[in-house]
Amino acid sequence: MLLQLNNIFKWVNSGGQRIFLLKDINLNVNEGEFISIMGPSGSGKSTLLNVIGMLDGFDEGEYHFLEESVHSLKEKHRANLYKEYIGFVFQSYHLLDELTVKENLEMPLLYKKFKGSERKAMVADMLDRFNIVGKKDLFPAQLSGGQQQLVGIARALISNPKLILADEPTGNLNSAQGEEIMELFKKLNEEDGVTIIQVTHSEKNAAYGSRIINLLDGRKV
Amino acid sequence: MFKLFLKIATRYLLKNKLYSFINIFGLAIGIASFVLIMLYVNYERSYDKFEGSENVHRVFMDYLEGGEYVPGDANAYIVSGPALKEEFPEIENFVRFRRIRDLVVLNNNTPYDGIVGSLADPEYFDVFDHGLVKGDVNTALNEPYSVVLSTSVAQKLFGDGNPIGQSLKIAGDATVTFTVTGVMDNTNRNTHIKNDLLISFKTFYTWKIFENDWKYTWNQNEYYTYVKVAANTDVELLNKKIMAFVPKGFEFKERHHMEPIESIHLYSNKPYEAGTNGNGNNIKLLSIIAFITLLLSWMNYMNLSSSKSLERAKEIGIRKVVGGKKSQLTLQFLSESALLNFMAILLALGAVFLLLPGFNAMVGQNLGLDGTQLTALMPYLGIMLLGASLAALYPAFVLSRFNPAKVLKGQVQTSKNGLHFRRALIITQFVATISLLICTLMANKQINFLKNRPIGANLDQVVALKGQILDRAYDSIFYKDFDVLLEELKRSPYVAEVGCTGTYPGDDFSNMNSNIQLTFPDGHTDETHIWYNYGARPNYFNLMGMDFVAGNAFLQTAEKWSHNVVVNEEMVRFMGIEDPNALIGETIKFWGQDWTVSGVVEDYNHFGMKSAVVPIIIRHDRNTQNVLVKLDQKAITMAGVDKALNELEQTWHQVFPVSTYNYTFLDQKFQALFNEDQKFAKAFQIFTLLAILIASLGLFGLTSYTCIQRKKEIGVRKVNGATIAQILQLLNQNFIKWVGLAFVIAVPIAWFAMDKWLEGFAYKTTISWWVFVLGGLVALSIAILTVSWQSFRAAIANPVESLRDE
Ligand SMILES: Nc1ncnc2c1ncn2[C@@H]1O[C@H](COP(=O)(O)OP(=O)(O)O)[C@@H](O)[C@H]1O
Ligand SMILES: [Mg+2]
Repeated sequence: MLLQLNNIFKWVNSGGQRIFLLKDINLNVNEGEFISIMGPSGSGKSTLLNVIGMLDGFDEGEYHFLEESVHSLKEKHRANLYKEYIGFVFQSYHLLDELTVKENLEMPLLYKKFKGSERKAMVADMLDRFNIVGKKDLFPAQLSGGQQQLVGIARALISNPKLILADEPTGNLNSAQGEEIMELFKKLNEEDGVTIIQVTHSEKNAAYGSRIINLLDGRKV
Repeated sequence: MFKLFLKIATRYLLKNKLYSFINIFGLAIGIASFVLIMLYVNYERSYDKFEGSENVHRVFMDYLEGGEYVPGDANAYIVSGPALKEEFPEIENFVRFRRIRDLVVLNNNTPYDGIVGSLADPEYFDVFDHGLVKGDVNTALNEPYSVVLSTSVAQKLFGDGNPIGQSLKIAGDATVTFTVTGVMDNTNRNTHIKNDLLISFKTFYTWKIFENDWKYTWNQNEYYTYVKVAANTDVELLNKKIMAFVPKGFEFKERHHMEPIESIHLYSNKPYEAGTNGNGNNIKLLSIIAFITLLLSWMNYMNLSSSKSLERAKEIGIRKVVGGKKSQLTLQFLSESALLNFMAILLALGAVFLLLPGFNAMVGQNLGLDGTQLTALMPYLGIMLLGASLAALYPAFVLSRFNPAKVLKGQVQTSKNGLHFRRALIITQFVATISLLICTLMANKQINFLKNRPIGANLDQVVALKGQILDRAYDSIFYKDFDVLLEELKRSPYVAEVGCTGTYPGDDFSNMNSNIQLTFPDGHTDETHIWYNYGARPNYFNLMGMDFVAGNAFLQTAEKWSHNVVVNEEMVRFMGIEDPNALIGETIKFWGQDWTVSGVVEDYNHFGMKSAVVPIIIRHDRNTQNVLVKLDQKAITMAGVDKALNELEQTWHQVFPVSTYNYTFLDQKFQALFNEDQKFAKAFQIFTLLAILIASLGLFGLTSYTCIQRKKEIGVRKVNGATIAQILQLLNQNFIKWVGLAFVIAVPIAWFAMDKWLEGFAYKTTISWWVFVLGGLVALSIAILTVSWQSFRAAIANPVESLRDE
């Protein structure tokens, strides 16, 4: 078992009222799964993804990740945990505009105590794997959306995470580009055994996953 | 329309209280500093400016120093004025002043001291363009024994009554009666030669006080002389002719020289000045600081408001999309800028009013924000308005240029140029502040160095007593009574020792005598230096803790006075004599007399620590000018200084019941010679602190700007594993680099400035490396603290917020 959410509640207080963002979420994810989260806008998909990614906290319930009790971990341990095991992919890619493709890929490694030579090898390997060696010295603005998302995924994968969290990774792409990304996810999942949780609005993309979770008003339906 | 803009602007400023406060505050500091400094600078530059002052020049003497003429004496000879007028038709008029020392005026036997007065030619009123509020300007100083009073002295002596025709006497010779013939208004007359009382010059020729002075010769050289030249005179040419001119009967290796009266206060510092002059260099430095602080505060304003504009990108986008024209937007931001600047100016003026008394106390002036002072500031108002409008235009320009499409998409990308510009502003600010910091540290180091330098005499607990008897003459009976006074003083338990001297270290320059011709024991006569001398009684040296390197203090004679002299080591060096003992018993000549050297004392700094030790001769004299009393440390510790001082005064008045009396602590008077420098250093310090404050505000602004701009980047990096420390480092390292760059630029600037400043001192402290390091470290710490306040907040922010995809 990779992770387990038990009776997770998350809320915000607004004007004396408690607004629930997540309500009683239970979820077990095994290693090697490919899960799609669906639901209308504002239903809590991103919130759930952030909780899983440990970027955001929750107010009630338990969260176990690889035998660690995330809910009782200190901030720093939690950060170390996601640093090591989780990679993030965003709808708007979130590449750093001032860095080249190569530098964007290298960036996470800088925070993970890899030697210079190691970093170089890992970046070269990743460029190779994604077929973007020719673009390594370009800046994000010089790439198409699809290419930028490729780099985004490459960056999420570079330190060999067990889990990829992708929030509407194809939201800004046309269908051809989106399909390419989905094929890539499928390949990563099947060939490399990477666990993937993605948020998507498209039934077609959701079908790439092995399981679909539907959210409505913060609750699993 | 404008009203609407103002309303929106007010609302905006109120909504962003911290931003508005920092911005207005920063501007106000800059403007207030500028106004305060410029008030002071203008005051210092307003000396001796009157109708026709550009044609008035002071005549002074150059003497030869190693084959070259150097300014030697602020005084000229009694006949200099008449001789020059006769020779040069360009000279229309001249006036001579002869100072009357320790002037005490008697009105019906009531003594008034502390009045500065001179003998003066009647041409004074013409040359100095000074009228009378009472009396006839054409005759007031024509007759002997006429006096003209300032309004304040007239008020002091005669109250509200009419002073004209009143009679008064002057201590020292109470047998003659003076008649008041005029009253002049000295208020608002800034001059380097202050006179609250003028006695007609003709009095000189008959008055007993001067009966020992040689009359009308080239021997009398204590006459401040001012000439008025015809308008359109080629002053340079006239000066050349005057320097080359050798009057009949003039035998000294000196020459006459002229300087504009307008530049005396700030740029003349000769021996025997009429008073303590200002320091033109300090005034220049202060003006530079004034402009720097003003400039810093504008840079700051541009920085802060343009960084703040980023947060408003969306508002601008919306305004543009709904049809706001660029010009309208510009106008709106301009009205905000105008409102902000206006408030800053108001706040600054309020601050100036509040701070003025304190500032006056610090600089020892009485500056006010009255009409004339404000008018003098007018030329700077133009600069201030121009600067303020430029500063206000910049953010308006930046803001209205935003591309609405990009802005609405949340792409808060401003141009790289904008960032470079802001970075340049910050670096400039830090160059200025680090330079100022280093200079402040150096100035303090130098002043402490001088204060702690050994004087060569022990001034602790030494009090100089001074007074004038008013009811009788200075005759043989007086000398007997004076000895009684010394005996009585010595008997006091509070007194360790009593001595007498004409002057002492730190005393007013005018109490020192001098001569130009001095014949050495080997017969060589030197005419190329001023030789200073004063009279003292034998126990003066012991009392002052001055040690002899050879001989003794006139002790070989039992007489009250003799032709024995003591010289200092510098004198021995000057004569080229190796062993001071070789000089003992030898004869030197000056004032047409022979003097025997009885002793050589160790060098001491008579004229304060700012000038080097000069050769000095101390004559054995039956002196009565200053009674020096060394207080007994033990006795005054037990009884208290006040009690001891009381007893001294009582003793004095027992012996001389009708007399003036005052006392001076020698150490205090000596240290007071640093007052000007200390005031300057303090002003420098305060304005440096303000400059640092302004620069910190600027840095604060730029950091918040950067943090906003890099918000997304920070989020991305955190999600990819960066720790808070790593983010902090990322955000701070640039600022630290800039401070480092600023430091590198500031070091040579500060070094150069301090090297120049130190040139004015005879004894210089070393320009130590640690001063630079300390200055840099202080600036760096301030920068890191300022930056971290903002960047820490950015670093701990949850990346989820910044990365949310809308
Ligand atoms: N920190 C927060 N404070 C208040 N409301 C929030 C916060 N975060 C998210 N929400 C709200 O919670 C709901 C779920 O948001 P989100 O998870 O982003 O939805 P989705 O990704 O499914 O569109 C939305 O209505 C959003 O406005
Ligand atoms: Mg979402």
